[in-house]
Parts: sequence; structure tokens; C-alpha cells
Amino acid sequence: MIPVKYNVRNLRVRWVTTLMTVVGTGLVVWATVLTFGLTDGLDHALRISGDRLDLIVLRKGTTEETSSNIDQKVAKEIANLDGIATDSSGQPLCSSEFVTILTKPRRNNGGTTNLIVRGLQDVGRGLRPGFKIVRGRDVRIGVNEAITSDRMAERFENLAIGEKLEINKIHFEIVGYFEAAGSSAESEVWTDLRDLTGARRTPEALSAVNLRCRDEAAKTALLKRIRDDEQFKLDAMDEPAYFERQMSASIAIKFVGFAIAIFLTMGAMFAAANTMYAAIASRGREIGALRAIGFSRRSILTSFLFESVLLCLLGGLLGCLATLPFNGLSTGTANWATFSEITFAFRFGPSVLFRGVLMALTMGLVGGLFPALRAVRMPIISALRET
Amino acid sequence: MHTLFYIWRNLKRNKLRSTLTILSVGFSLALMTVLNGYMAMQGVWGKEAEKKHRIVVMNSQGFSGMLPISYVDRIRGTEGIKAATPYAWYGGNYKEEQMPFAQFGCDPKAAFDVWDEFSIAPQQLAEFQKTRNGCVVDRRLADKRGWKIGERIPLQGTFYRFNLDLVLCGMFDAPQSTDSLWFNWLYLDEGMREMNTPGTGNAGTIFARVSQAESMASVSQRIDERFASSDNPTRTQTEAAFAQMFTDMLGNVQAYIRNIGLAVVFSLSLVAANAMAMSMRERTTEIAVLKAIGFSRRRVLVTILGEACSITLLGGLLGIFIGCVCLELLHTLSSQIMLLSVFEMFGPWLVYLLATAAGIGLVSGIVPAVRAAQLSVIDGLRRVV
Repeated sequence: MIPVKYNVRNLRVRWVTTLMTVVGTGLVVWATVLTFGLTDGLDHALRISGDRLDLIVLRKGTTEETSSNIDQKVAKEIANLDGIATDSSGQPLCSSEFVTILTKPRRNNGGTTNLIVRGLQDVGRGLRPGFKIVRGRDVRIGVNEAITSDRMAERFENLAIGEKLEINKIHFEIVGYFEAAGSSAESEVWTDLRDLTGARRTPEALSAVNLRCRDEAAKTALLKRIRDDEQFKLDAMDEPAYFERQMSASIAIKFVGFAIAIFLTMGAMFAAANTMYAAIASRGREIGALRAIGFSRRSILTSFLFESVLLCLLGGLLGCLATLPFNGLSTGTANWATFSEITFAFRFGPSVLFRGVLMALTMGLVGGLFPALRAVRMPIISALRET
Repeated sequence: MHTLFYIWRNLKRNKLRSTLTILSVGFSLALMTVLNGYMAMQGVWGKEAEKKHRIVVMNSQGFSGMLPISYVDRIRGTEGIKAATPYAWYGGNYKEEQMPFAQFGCDPKAAFDVWDEFSIAPQQLAEFQKTRNGCVVDRRLADKRGWKIGERIPLQGTFYRFNLDLVLCGMFDAPQSTDSLWFNWLYLDEGMREMNTPGTGNAGTIFARVSQAESMASVSQRIDERFASSDNPTRTQTEAAFAQMFTDMLGNVQAYIRNIGLAVVFSLSLVAANAMAMSMRERTTEIAVLKAIGFSRRRVLVTILGEACSITLLGGLLGIFIGCVCLELLHTLSSQIMLLSVFEMFGPWLVYLLATAAGIGLVSGIVPAVRAAQLSVIDGLRRVV
């Protein structure tokens, strides 16, 4: 084996070329990892929104709360079904909710987009992961107050504490910010159920029922009970399945992410090949000498491949490191399942960074393969004779 | 002329290196072409839409708001309006497929006056106006699905509780694929009334055509003012602005694309500069010889810069070609995402991309070129590489 030190020294001696290649591949990896971090953040927000034991009950034929409607009478019947978990005071964890979409302006001239406003009662708060008020206070019923997350307050006009959100000429004062473990609830504005349906002039309306099952067996039974009831005409699904659907609606962004990765990897591959060809061309005599003193073709091939991989991995690591300042930075885009804004944080988890490193590895391996093969194929005599 | 020939010969000297650099630039610029092409498409689309003099009225609260059907007649009566139709998004499922194409409830008597660039055979239009549960579809959609006139098209409602049982009365031709089906708004509304469900009498949105381009803004304003104090205030905008709303929903994608583009350009400059520097290092002696036999500094500079630019320009051309092929492919695959064919949107953005390629060449060539131009003949000849 040719010692690793040989490669490291080579990279150091040609430091200008090395640096340029590293920064070049680094930028490419950076741009790609950033895109992956975006889609991963979106997926994460939706994934943690779903609890395995929580069911969403919708009108048959719909797949979104935003396009569903349920009779109050039916909702009451559901709350009385067997198998629903209860809270400490014995109340069933079953929340009738009304969801509406408003077109509202973003701050800083970011255009208008759709905003989800949810009307619900106290019990619904217990169904969201880690719900807590972090600033201000919760809403009082009957006086048109609303709460939202601080991320939404930053993104939308009229959503900061003290500001007023207009719904059909009725002004809802924002009185607090809540957190829900980064789930998609944090992309919504919450108010009291009847205050919202009143403002929307649909006093009886309900969109969906959210409930928690006692256990897995109860879940299976409840799913069957609700789906099979001819009178209800309802559909129920567990939350992970519900949010899985929303995730697949963002397929376009993921497609763009992969397209960026593929094009840029190809481009960077050729750049790496270029650098390695030059490295090998100027080392013809060295290679000849290595062969002459008995290093096998295979160890020379490995050595050059290693050098190329090392070069690109340095770039890849640099690119991954450069994304870290973006970690946790919040951003938003459209959730194409609900046609409304969803906010989430960039997320550079192990799988995203691994994809970046994998990309660098591919560049290094493919880019280095042909130059390394050329190095190996050189006849010793002519290699030694090269200037 | 001689300089050009010299540049060309230099390019061909290390074919492998030139090819690799060209490919590297090519693939990255192909990506930029696709991203920029998408943005350009939206611009072109907006301009096209502007020419049709259409405005869109919706509830000021957004799509979920109520827009009473009586507004259609009141808008028709507004000065400057030529035609108006309700345009209600049905969003139903077809057989087992979830919302596989767009479905709108409209007024069959007015729809083809609002979209006057769409054409339909007169007897088919008459049939559509006569048949309560009739519908018409984009010919491309009908061809894709293999639908014939008289076909029954059942649609299951999602947020509308009334399911539609439609009969295909005709097919219309639109300049661009619309992927949509139009049915009679009244059929839906009567069905809902019979079922006694809430939400009847809602036009959804109203599309209207204005007689003159100049009056679009004033007519829109007049409509909004008229309904401002009613229970359902409206928001009226041009069709282009309406389309822009959907783009806006994505968030600041444009800034994102620009940033990716910047990173790519910067990275390419490094790659190309690296290649140029490598090739110059090998030619130091040769440049000294050129200068010794009387080549001026300027000519050396121009030659090397020219070489760098030629490489990146060739890469740029390749990239734009690949990018356009990808865009066209995307258009054939899904005319919903890529509304226009590449051929309909040739424009300054392509020149801008080529200029970027040339710019990368200039930046990458400047250091090696200046160094070569300032090289002293003695040093150059003495240097052993």
C-alpha cells in the first residue's frame, strides 16, 4: 500500500488547485444540502404532527380537514363512542373542530397566501404534541381572541400579539403565542370554535373530529365502527396516515431537490476529474518510480482514487459545515394538500448530511476513476521518461 | 482572425481537459437554465394573460369565502364589462382518482365569451347550454382519457356534498393545455338545494372580460367599491395577478433560486479558473516564446481570455441545450407545472444565461491571462515545468 501521507502531501503541495477544487465542490454540496434540509424540515414538521393513537374523522370522500364538513349531531355521537381515551377529569379526548382558510398578506411584501384558522375547544389542545403557551395567554371564549405561533407572527401581517386579524369584518385580537413541538399546528391560528363559526356566519359548521383512542385495539375497532356506519357517511384515518398524504403533496419540491443534486453532482464530477487528470499528468515520473520500486497496479489505483475521494470529501464536509448556520432557521412554503402556508425549520439531520457526503463521495469516486486508470495503464519505461 | 485560429488550436490541444471543463460548465448551466426557464415561463404566462383583459373577482377573505351568485349579474351590469361567469372550483374525485384534473362550474352561456380565445363547435356549445348535466372538456384531456361525446363522467364531491353525474357534450380547443372540465354551475347548485345542504348560491370566483386593457384597473376598483360595504366584500384583480397569488404561495422561491444560481456560478468560476491555471502552467515556456517572437502583451492577454471564454461559452451552449430539452420534457410530462413549451418563451433570459457563461470565462481567465501578459520573457524561458 502506498502510504496515505503521500496523497495528503500531494494535495498540500498543489494547494491552490486543491483549495479551488475543495471550495468548488463544497459550494455545490452546500447548495444541494440546503435544498435537502428544506424538504426534510417540511417532512419532519408533518411527521411529528401525527400521533399513532389519534384519529381524524372527515366526511367520506375528502382527505383534508379544509375540505371536510360534519354535522354537529354526528360529532356528538362520535364523542360517545366506546374506546376513546379520557383525560384526568374523565372527559373523552375528542375534539370537534372547524377549519377555515383566509387569504392574508405576508410581512415585508411577501405576497398574499392562505392561512389556516382553526376553531376548537380546550380538549383539542391536549391532542397536540407538547402544546403550551409561551408568551401572552390563551384565548378567552366569546370575545374573539386568537393565539398563534411566534413563527407565524413573524411571517404574517396582523398576527403579532396585540394586533388584530380580520375575519369577515370581525376583528380577532392575538393574545398569545403557543408551541406544539414544531408540529404543523404551529402554522395555524387558533381561536374558539364558536367565535370562529360565528364570524364565518356558519354557526353550526364543523370540519372534522380529532380524537385519541384508548389503545391499538380500540383504534382498530373505532376505525371500523366509523367507516362502516352507513348513517355517518364518514371516513377516519390515523394521524400518521393523514400527514403522510400531506407529505406526498410536496413531491414537487423534493423532485426539484433531487434534480439539483443530480445536475450539480455531474458538473462537479467533471471538475474533480479535471483536477485529478492534471495531478496525474504532472506526476508521470513519480508513478513510474512507484511502479519501478514494486508497488502494484492495484495499490496505485487505490491510492489515486483515495486522493480524489479525499479531495471531494473535504469539499463535501466544508459544504455540510456551511449549512449549519441555517440549522433551525425557520422558513415556509405552501402545503399543497391544504393550499395554505406551512412554516417549519430547516433541518440538517444525519440523513441529510449523509446525502451530502454521499454526493461528494460519488464525485470523488467517479471523477477519480478514469484518471486513476490512466495512471495505472502507463508503461513504466515511458512514464519514467516523461518530463 | 489569426488570434481566433490560435485560440481554437489551443482549445484542441488538451482535448480531455477542455471537454471536462465544458461538460462541468454544461451540466451546471443546464440546471440554471431549468430554474431560470421556470421563472421566465411565469413571466411570459403573466404577459400573455394580461392580453386577454380578464379580471377575477373573489371574496376578500379568500377562496373559502362566499361570493353570492347575484354578484355575477351585478358585475355584468358594471360599465366596461363584456362578459362574466361564475367559476366554482369543484375539486371532485373521478372514479378512484383524487382530483385528477380541474373541474369548474361555469355559466355555459357566458364562459366562451369570457375565454374568447377558446374555440368549440357551435352545435356542441348549443348542446352544452341545453343539457343541465352537460360538460365540456379540453380536447387534450379528452384525448388523454379516450373520452367520446356522450361519455358519462361521474364526479364525487369532496367539499361539495353533491356528486355530479355529467355527460360529455363537447370539446374545446385552447391555445395552451388547461387540463380542465367545465360543467353548468346551476346543476351543482340545484343539486345542493335539493339536498338541503349549506353553501348554496356561491359562485366561488367570478371571471370577467373587460372591453379595454386600460380600463382593467378602474373596473376592478369599481367592482370592489361597490361590494365593499356588503356582507361579502370582494377582491378583484387581473388574471395575471391572480396567477401570481399561487406563485406567491410558494414563498420566496425566486430568492432561493437566485441564491442557488449564485453558488453555482461562483463554484463554476473556481472550476474553470482551476482548469485555465493548470493549462497555463504547462504552457509558460511557450508563452515566453510567443512574446520573444514579438506577440504584444495585449495579444497574449486577448488570446488567453478568449480561450477561457470559448470554453465556458461552449459549456454554456451545451448547458442551455440540455436545459431546454429538460424543460420541453417537463412540458410534455406535465403541462400543469410547465405551462409553456420552450419554443413559446425564447427570450432575453437565454441571452442572460449565455452572458453568465461568458462572464464565468472572463473571471476564470483573468488571473492566468494577466500573469501570462506580465511574464518576463527571460523568466518564462528559464522556468522548468
